[in-house]
Amino acid sequence: MLLIECPWCGERAETEFSYGGEAGIARPPDPDVLSDAEWADYLFNRSNPRGAHRELWNHAQGCRRWFGVERDTVTYRIAGSFRLSDGSDNREG
Amino acid sequence: MSRPLDRRHGLEPLLAELSGSRTADPGASVTIRNDLGHINVRGRAADAGFVQSVEQVLGQALPVKPNTVSLDQHEVFWLGPDEWLIVTPAAAAAELAGRLQKATSDTHASVNDISGGQVVLILQGAKCRDLLAKGCTLDLHPGAFAVGDCAQSGIARANVLLALVDEMPTFMIVIRRSFSDYLCRWLTHAGRDEGIAFKDS
Ligand SMILES: [Zn+2]
Repeated sequence: MLLIECPWCGERAETEFSYGGEAGIARPPDPDVLSDAEWADYLFNRSNPRGAHRELWNHAQGCRRWFGVERDTVTYRIAGSFRLSDGSDNREG
Repeated sequence: MSRPLDRRHGLEPLLAELSGSRTADPGASVTIRNDLGHINVRGRAADAGFVQSVEQVLGQALPVKPNTVSLDQHEVFWLGPDEWLIVTPAAAAAELAGRLQKATSDTHASVNDISGGQVVLILQGAKCRDLLAKGCTLDLHPGAFAVGDCAQSGIARANVLLALVDEMPTFMIVIRRSFSDYLCRWLTHAGRDEGIAFKDS
């Protein structure tokens, strides 16, 4: 079981969280100008690194906020958590 | 003494099943508090106008420190950086929600009376930490979880809001009404070692 640090609630058991995939993927501001390949890249292609990975987690059973975690995909070691905003809205979630 | 509601809490079948059995010396007791109203409030903690308006109506502080509860005339729980739960006598909840709504109407806020969806269980007794430890991953040691602390987590996989309200210890568990029968049945089973008794408020 991983202990994941929610930026608001502190360390909690992994079972309280749900995973949201790679962090930092911005929605293209104007999808209409993208080719199918570019749109597919935005939708499906991920960096899938071996090592440090910045990813989204939701504290689903707790405060229900989205936040970021940097986790090593080989060792599962978590380097730290970060807020996506001040948490007063969910727009970046 | 608060006014009993017409509303059923949903735990009547379980209480009927348990009515014959008596635990001589229960290490934990559960009191079903169906006489409480629940109001969900959302708004920005950074918006001084919002906080002030809510505090004025409540007559007590809105806790902005994560995972704390303000215990006074009402119980005001921190649920998130922009979300709180107010628990208050059921008879007064609708009126209080109305006043909160009016006071926050010109700010970016929402007030919802969700009394119908939740029920409060009061878990008391010397052995209730042992009992909770069987189904909850939170560290509830007195040094880690003190009076005035609250947390949303799971007990036996059911989502709950848990708070310590006194050192007896007395825990307040807020749970979805539809999950309360499941949780109480789990407590009945898990509490056989500690001895558990249920009562209606
Ligand atoms: Zn949290």
